[in-house]
Amino acid sequence: MAGGPPKALLSSGPHSLRDMPHPLAVSSSEEAVGGDSTPSPDLLVARSFGDKDLILPNGGTPAGTSSPASSSSLLNRLQLDDEIDGETRDLFVTVDDPKKHVCTMETYITYRITTKSTRVEFDLPEYSVRRRYQDFDWLRSKLEESQPTHLIPPLPEKFVVKGVVDRFSEEFVETRRKALDKFLKRITDHPVLSFNEHFNVFLTAKDLNAYRKQGIALLTRVGESVKHVTGGYKLRSRPLEFAAIGEYLDTFALKLGTIDRIAQRIIKEEIEYLVELREYGPVYSTWSALEGELAEPLEGVSACIGNCSTALEELTDDMTEDFLPVLREYILYSDSMKSVLKKRDQVQAEYEAKLEAMALRKEDRPKVPADVEKCQDRVECFNADLKADMERWQNNKRQDFRQLLMGLADKNIQYYEKCLMAWESIIPLLQEKQEAK
Amino acid sequence: MEQASSDLEGQLQPAPLEPLGYADGELEAAVGEKAEGAQEESSGLDTMTENNFWLKKIEISVSEAEKRTGRNAVNMQETYTAYLIETRSVEHADGQSVLTDSLWRRYSEFELLRNYLLVCYPHIVVPPLPEKRAEFVWHKLSADNMDPDFVERRRIGLENFLLRVASHPTLCRDKIFYLFLTQEGNWKETVNETGFQLKADSRLKALNATFRVKNPDKRFTELKHYSDELQSVISHLLRVRARVADRLYGVYKVHGNYGRVFSEWSAIEKEMGDGLQSAGHHMDVYASSIDDILEDEEHYADQLKEYLFYAEALRAVCRKHELMQYDLEMAVQDLASKKQQCEELATGTVRTFSLKGMTTKLFGQEAPEQREARIKVLEEQISEGEQQLKSKNLEGREFVKNAWADIERFKEQKNHDLKEALISYAVMQISMCKKGIQVWTNAKECFSKM
Repeated sequence: MAGGPPKALLSSGPHSLRDMPHPLAVSSSEEAVGGDSTPSPDLLVARSFGDKDLILPNGGTPAGTSSPASSSSLLNRLQLDDEIDGETRDLFVTVDDPKKHVCTMETYITYRITTKSTRVEFDLPEYSVRRRYQDFDWLRSKLEESQPTHLIPPLPEKFVVKGVVDRFSEEFVETRRKALDKFLKRITDHPVLSFNEHFNVFLTAKDLNAYRKQGIALLTRVGESVKHVTGGYKLRSRPLEFAAIGEYLDTFALKLGTIDRIAQRIIKEEIEYLVELREYGPVYSTWSALEGELAEPLEGVSACIGNCSTALEELTDDMTEDFLPVLREYILYSDSMKSVLKKRDQVQAEYEAKLEAMALRKEDRPKVPADVEKCQDRVECFNADLKADMERWQNNKRQDFRQLLMGLADKNIQYYEKCLMAWESIIPLLQEKQEAK
Repeated sequence: MEQASSDLEGQLQPAPLEPLGYADGELEAAVGEKAEGAQEESSGLDTMTENNFWLKKIEISVSEAEKRTGRNAVNMQETYTAYLIETRSVEHADGQSVLTDSLWRRYSEFELLRNYLLVCYPHIVVPPLPEKRAEFVWHKLSADNMDPDFVERRRIGLENFLLRVASHPTLCRDKIFYLFLTQEGNWKETVNETGFQLKADSRLKALNATFRVKNPDKRFTELKHYSDELQSVISHLLRVRARVADRLYGVYKVHGNYGRVFSEWSAIEKEMGDGLQSAGHHMDVYASSIDDILEDEEHYADQLKEYLFYAEALRAVCRKHELMQYDLEMAVQDLASKKQQCEELATGTVRTFSLKGMTTKLFGQEAPEQREARIKVLEEQISEGEQQLKSKNLEGREFVKNAWADIERFKEQKNHDLKEALISYAVMQISMCKKGIQVWTNAKECFSKM
């Protein structure tokens, strides 16, 4: 891969991605979940499969997460399954099977990465490797380096700051696994990033460390040049669309931050409510011990409240494990997108500066000097890549948030359904006429 | 009718003490004819006595509450709430009710009525009043006595009290109760004129008895223990319930913030905007639904509170028994010692220490005439004592019989009422769950359109 452009660099040149058939595009104009009638010009089967446990068509199963079999969540799962069109997809990646490794120096977790592909870039049809968080972090930096004009998906946070979270607890590991799975799937769905050499190595190499030690920077032509762009150029005017994107991202991140805080607050209140409920239920039991005829009814109420408490605990766990992490991911995503936008600004600034310098020199050249042309190339390339990625990102974002928020509603519905069932089942017990003792 | 120890008591307990069989707490009271031997009528509600009906029904309601200012006993300005009590008599034939009486009473008058009933019917588990001050409040609820919600709940509690008294087979026929409903002016004086306060047992005496009684009826001891436990468990329940309500309130209200932020977010979105905006509206609905839910729950808390206070009434009956039993034991002891004294005097042997014995030793024997006189006095006292003992015994047994009958009636009522309360609580919870499902389903629908 040294020197040559990566294969299928679809985004070089000023052509809009709209004109080119997308390798992962579904030919029909079906939208994803919800059957909405808004057609998007650039159709992508770029869904994130993170939250719900889906059975992938090629048999890969993610690490088991059991969702309660409520009718609403079942329907969600089925709908998504229907959308997968196995024929146009040629790369499937899954993260599962976390394992703890205890060594003399450290203890850490590795995850199994299963890859199935028919692409020629892969020597074998199937791969299974183990990777740890460090490796993902490395992959991401490499992608940022080698594909600076593209939006790279975020990783879950490296360090756990909040409270005393156990790095090796089941919940934490599962949350991280889901996020890592999503990370790889987003790359897989990306028409450019999925063909990246580093990505390939990450998925296939038996010994990643050896490869990492090589330290060879495998940059694309564009990557190389962008890497050397230093700051210090002042941007004249940002094109409207990029200014708008920047503003949008600012507000977006702000609102997500607010939602994150609200969600955390709700969880906190719910936990405090749970604490009280756990004291409340048993008092009915205590009372029941004093009574004769009322003993059973009171005991029944106590058990009922116990069931509701359990349901509430499940709700708060779900919120913490499934809802909050995805919010945080998107905040990280917007942050990294902002830095890509800055880079774009820099590239444009450099070009403008060179253009200005050229104008000042007032040389009578028949054509524009090569380096200025190169700059112009860079700018246009960057803009095109970014626009395409933004659009892709917007679509994914919409899918992700629709799924996330519907999931939120679902969890709450399930909680209330469990409680409803508990209370309804106790009514006949309460109404029972006691036989004369 | 039993001959009680004083005439006064006779006047206050005009009718025989057996329950009439209206043992279930119906809302309509069966009011019988006027008490025998009662003093002259005051407001002359002739419908009550004219046909000697047992089954003339009346309806009682505490229909309004009003803030008033007046001057109290020490001539200071004070604000208090007065409650309007309306009594209607229901004609049998056409079921129509006619307003027969209506007057205003304040809480302290209710208290006076209850104290009177407690003293005059010690064998009855007297229905309790709603609390004087708001307790077991969760933070949103006001602890202020003038707060309209508190006043409203108290109005209902007072009505409940009157209905309980009116449906009690014995209490409903009390004259003072009748006058409470019918004679606005001078009622306080009338009550005080009965001199019931003199009859009240001193608290100290009651406490003393509790600790020193030797052979109380086991059932009463167990019952007292039960009422202590009941009071403790219901207090605990009410306290925790208040905290639960507080927390639940917090959970719902914080969801309201979603409404605001979804609205703001929808402003920058194109396709997602509408879905977000309408979902936000549902979050607002969710957040505001908690107010009604918790208000309904207060009604459940009030039902529990009534039985919390009933536990106190139950204990009062047990204590009365202990007091009577203690009295009896003291009387037995006293009689025995007098008999012994008599015997000693008669036979001349001194077996037990007595002051007279000592003084005799010190100052010489008394003359035979003096001794004779003393023996005579003692014999009289003994005879009197035996009479009193007999009547105390009878009284005691009568008390136990009647009290236990009322306790059985109370137990039935309690089991029925608390079961109903639990059922209505479950129904409230079911309703809350259904509302929750509805709101989130609506929100989910909005999200699906994003």
